[in-house]
Amino acid sequence: MSDTANAHNEEEDSHAGLVVENKKLLMWLFLGSDCMFFGTLISTHLIYRKLYPQSYDPLVVFDLELTSFSTFILLMSSFLMALAVSAMHKGQLKSFRRNVLGVIFFGLIFLSCQVYEFAHFTNEGLTLSTNTFGSTFYLMTGTHGVHVAIGIFWLLCLYFYSHTGKMDAHESAIDVEVAGLYWHFVDIVWIVIFTAVYLIEYIPGF
Amino acid sequence: MSDTDYAPLPVSDKNPHEGENEKYHTFVNLALVLSAITGVELVLVYMPFNSVFIFTVLLALSLFKFVAVIAWFMHLLYDKLIMTLAFGTGMVIATGTFVALGFLMSPSNVDMEAITQF
Repeated sequence: MSDTANAHNEEEDSHAGLVVENKKLLMWLFLGSDCMFFGTLISTHLIYRKLYPQSYDPLVVFDLELTSFSTFILLMSSFLMALAVSAMHKGQLKSFRRNVLGVIFFGLIFLSCQVYEFAHFTNEGLTLSTNTFGSTFYLMTGTHGVHVAIGIFWLLCLYFYSHTGKMDAHESAIDVEVAGLYWHFVDIVWIVIFTAVYLIEYIPGF
Repeated sequence: MSDTDYAPLPVSDKNPHEGENEKYHTFVNLALVLSAITGVELVLVYMPFNSVFIFTVLLALSLFKFVAVIAWFMHLLYDKLIMTLAFGTGMVIATGTFVALGFLMSPSNVDMEAITQF
């Protein structure tokens, strides 16, 4: 019987190595499709920028220091999100709450910077309908901003849920991890936008 | 049933949270590196270097940031291959679309006069 039990355990162990968390896989698939979505938005912006280089000079309105600050804030929020996921895996609910609050706070700072930037651009005369640059720029960065807002809402829900007492540290770890994947994705999209849309404008001849 | 008729759960000598503690240090180091790279990118665009050189370095730094966040913060390095395939497929299609559109819509391939007539 001992041999049978051992064989059964070995079989279970080998199956455990094959188990794929459905929620996580679905999130990765979604993020893959979102890559295509943002890939198209960024491509459209860059193509129109190349086709109509004289339509607008973005250096008139761009504030690279502010955008770099936003990038830094989003990177730090990703760091806190990684810590929140790690805390959840360790079953440290208090640490999870602290880190998630940090992520939400940084996310709100990022959104505030974006709202300030949009208001500044509008005051300078660049609106959604001004030219092709305005249309593609607002559509792309606005879509990213909406993603950030959804992420903040999602994390707020998780934060409040953790106070209901229904959140089991181990069973909910996968939910937190999935939310974390979404948040990190928002971060990597911004890494691309920061370089392809903002930094590239400062290189002479590009 | 004797005491030896069941297989006890294997007890590891290793602290179950040891892996998470190791990850903590990785996360801290990565956050510092990512911040430093963002600072370098900001300074680089103001430097009087060759445009192609600046562009190449910016591209490489962004690519590193992109891959680093995916690999460590998003745990793809520690996850199963199917997760990489799920995300990689989307990434490949997105990159393919970007490259294809870039070629199709390059100024030399587009009849600008025909466009402006509309």
